[in-house]
Amino acid sequence: MLLKKLFRTLWQYKAQFISMVIMVALGIGVFLGFNVEWYSLEVNTKEIYDATGFADYRIYNDKGFSHEDLEAVKGIDGVDDATRFLSLNVSVKDDTDTLALTVSENMDVSGILVMEGEPYSAEDPDGFWLSDSYAKANGISPGDPLTLSYQTITVKGTVKGLVKSSEYLICLPDTTQMMPDYSTYGFVYISPVMLDSAIPAMYKLFIGSLYHQINVKSSLDKPAFVEAADRVLGSTRLILSKDETVSWAEAQGEVNEGKTMASILPVLFLAIAVLTMVTTMHRICASEKTQIGTFKALGFKNRRILIHYSAYALIIGLLGTIPGIGIGYGLGWFIMNPDGAMATYIDMPSWTLHAPVFTWIVIIGIIAFLTFIGFLSVRKMLQGTAADALRPYSPKRMKHLRFEETRQFKRLGFGTKWNLRDCVRHKARSMMTLFGIIGCMVLLVGGLGMKDTMDAFLDVFYEKSINYTTRVNLDEDHMTAAEGKELAESLNGDWAASRAVRIGDKGYSLEIYSITHDKVRFADNDMKIIPLTDDGVYICSRIAREYNLKAGDELSFSPYDSNEDYTVTISGILDSMTEGVFMTDVYADKIGITYHVSSVFTDATEIPDNPHILNKQSKQSIMDSFDVFMDLMNKMIWLLVIAAVILGIVVLYNLGVMSYTERYREMATLKVVGFKDSKIGRLLISQNLWLTVLGILIGIPAGIGVLQYLLTALASEYELKLVLGLPTWLVSILLTFGVSLIVGLMVARKNRHIDMVAALKTAE
Amino acid sequence: MGGVKHMAIVEFKNVSRVYRNGDHEQRALDHVNLSLKEGRFIVVLGPSGAGKSTLLNMLGGLDSPTEGTIVVNGRDISTLTPNELAEYRAASVGFVFQSYNLIPTLTVIENVALVKEIAPNPLSSHEMLKAVGLEDHIHQFPSELSGGEQQRVSIARALAKNPHILLCDEPTGALDSETGVMVLKLLLSMARDMGKTIIIVTHNQNIAKMADVVIRVKNGKIKSCETQDNPLSVEEVDW
Repeated sequence: MLLKKLFRTLWQYKAQFISMVIMVALGIGVFLGFNVEWYSLEVNTKEIYDATGFADYRIYNDKGFSHEDLEAVKGIDGVDDATRFLSLNVSVKDDTDTLALTVSENMDVSGILVMEGEPYSAEDPDGFWLSDSYAKANGISPGDPLTLSYQTITVKGTVKGLVKSSEYLICLPDTTQMMPDYSTYGFVYISPVMLDSAIPAMYKLFIGSLYHQINVKSSLDKPAFVEAADRVLGSTRLILSKDETVSWAEAQGEVNEGKTMASILPVLFLAIAVLTMVTTMHRICASEKTQIGTFKALGFKNRRILIHYSAYALIIGLLGTIPGIGIGYGLGWFIMNPDGAMATYIDMPSWTLHAPVFTWIVIIGIIAFLTFIGFLSVRKMLQGTAADALRPYSPKRMKHLRFEETRQFKRLGFGTKWNLRDCVRHKARSMMTLFGIIGCMVLLVGGLGMKDTMDAFLDVFYEKSINYTTRVNLDEDHMTAAEGKELAESLNGDWAASRAVRIGDKGYSLEIYSITHDKVRFADNDMKIIPLTDDGVYICSRIAREYNLKAGDELSFSPYDSNEDYTVTISGILDSMTEGVFMTDVYADKIGITYHVSSVFTDATEIPDNPHILNKQSKQSIMDSFDVFMDLMNKMIWLLVIAAVILGIVVLYNLGVMSYTERYREMATLKVVGFKDSKIGRLLISQNLWLTVLGILIGIPAGIGVLQYLLTALASEYELKLVLGLPTWLVSILLTFGVSLIVGLMVARKNRHIDMVAALKTAE
Repeated sequence: MGGVKHMAIVEFKNVSRVYRNGDHEQRALDHVNLSLKEGRFIVVLGPSGAGKSTLLNMLGGLDSPTEGTIVVNGRDISTLTPNELAEYRAASVGFVFQSYNLIPTLTVIENVALVKEIAPNPLSSHEMLKAVGLEDHIHQFPSELSGGEQQRVSIARALAKNPHILLCDEPTGALDSETGVMVLKLLLSMARDMGKTIIIVTHNQNIAKMADVVIRVKNGKIKSCETQDNPLSVEEVDW
């Protein structure tokens, strides 16, 4: 019998129950989805790192490493395995595409996974193991011929396999590119045998070893490894641990970003779901109080009544959890699938979805907590004797509030007083309404503000900073600085040189610029374009933050492969894509640092053939890669906006119905007294609108705060400055207002159906 | 009483009210014909379910007849739209309920002043509260008052609209006899001194002894409508 009552009561309060189920589903869905996203990324990236034996350290040397060097490294105590490694950007013959030609002598260290075609063979004389993503984007299949060229050398062969590589998990040609573009850039592996036969004997004699890198598997920590490597190799070299590589750092960056996101938005949703549950269960139990009392009077034990009513909360929890899990995995899949947003960035073989164990514990905890809320709400109604329980629930007695004594309050109209006192009397309901509006506003400001911020970031760092049409990358190792400068001058371009430097025990890029044609520009912390002066260096915000530096401070760095230390004055802090130190060529010459020109930035349309030119990159191709990024961003924004609107509608409707039910009798009285439906409707809506205005006023700074928190969390990846455009303000405010007004109207319309006679007959 | 003119203020012409619930039909009022004069103290008596509250609700514009016409002050209210009915309630009738129906979030004075928002000729709220003897409680909330006091606030609110008719549904039903007598005295004075038409629906036979007109209702029909030339005063009734 009680079971029948349970279902009938569920039906009776269907609006509240459905909205609670939606809130729980949304809360659990968003919580699970965000955690599935970062955890699946962590699991799947770990899978490829493990499967390919991702190296723990990379030792770089411009002059290359010999067999003896490799053996010396392998002989270090704590080194498990090592390989000589080569990665070189080469051109695809008769095409403008670039491939990172890669050779590794030992595929047990940072090897490849063959997705299609023949297994890799270290003895193969003419086989290419090509990036499957590049192959897919360019319509290349195993068996197709491929010709690569590097300066005067041409390498011909057949594509034998399509592969993925942990070294190229995020396949970017350089740090100016934010997103991979497989239609123009990829990687290809060849065997050491093929490399050997492709290089002319004279060339080998001239340049020595081509392997400029040793990849090492080792359990040593970085200082111990650096010390050991320096000891056996004899001089300082650039050594990067795996967390300093793009593949690892960016993927981990995504994981951490996901963790950060998972610690904000889901908490907001879950908190709103739980608080709505507290309010709703309390109201339902209050309106069921006489029935609760009847059960008690009939002789039902408190335990049975508690179980019966707690079951409502349990059912809500369970009904919400099922779609919630679906939403969670759906959200995870939306981002983490082979054709999804994350796949445009990270090139992984496996895209399985995983949820961290703690999410299941939290979900079970939430269901238990919701049931506990139900339990507490019923227990409150059961207090006292059966006669006490039989009495209808009476809300708190009205008390005069301090502000009522003010002259301003006394001047207020009855509707305003009515609504003000109602808000104060039903604090929990008012607070929840406020919370729902703030949540809606936070999501909108956060989501749309993120887009504004990224748009401004792209505008400054790409549209404005990149003032050239073509970037020409030079073979810096085989040309003098004078030759580079001459080439730049012939192209009417500015130029840059790059060196790896060490600050403390961390490696950074030192970028030397000669800007005489305004082809490259820099932006300061306020995203204002500033010229570089010749009296000091500029550092990026990340370095400034890491070492707590500001303009006027001194900075010491030492270039790798040299024993010299440079102490320089910081002239300014830049926001930059590259994590590094910047200076003009004049200042570089002043302090006596040597360099080779590595890139020329020009508007020249005709770029003559030159053996020192490695490849050319158009501004357009850099900008195009952002379309993918922005597409991903826009999808996320849409999700947030939809979530905000659903959250707003569900919370406000639920509370609106609650408010309507609680004030039913009062509205019936007003109706009997002679108030028109429209006037009563306006009274109802006006309370909603006040709370909306207040919610918006609080929601704006809260949204900005959340956005700033997100930007700070993302600061290790992007140097973003919070920007909110006028449309964002307008859309956020108007949409929140619109949601509140529509829900208000929906609830207010109900007052037409108030049964005055029935309402006023019921006892107080 | 002498100076008050007794014109017909209410006329029920063949009024029926049928409630349908699926196949089930309940005739709450069955072809009722009634004519009531202005300034009278009228009591409607009848057992539960007789149709007396339905009659009151029709008259108060809370409900509309299924057939027939109700004319109040020369105006047919049976065909009014919901908005017109609201205007009618605001201008012409005041309600007093057994359960007071005050707005708990408004103080005593605010509950009464509330009608200023809608009534075309409202009276002074202070005056009305003074008339019901609550001038010292005007800033209290309803929950701070006794039942009798709350009922007096509801009478003050009904009177503040300056209506022609005051409709009272078991106004003393929730009160002890002493407080009930006080409320009845007040209502009677409204008829005698202010010329209001007071219609009280009740089970209580004793109240009928005070009435100018006693209407007995049974099974949705008017069983009798008697005019009492010498009604008793409140004090004369044996409560």
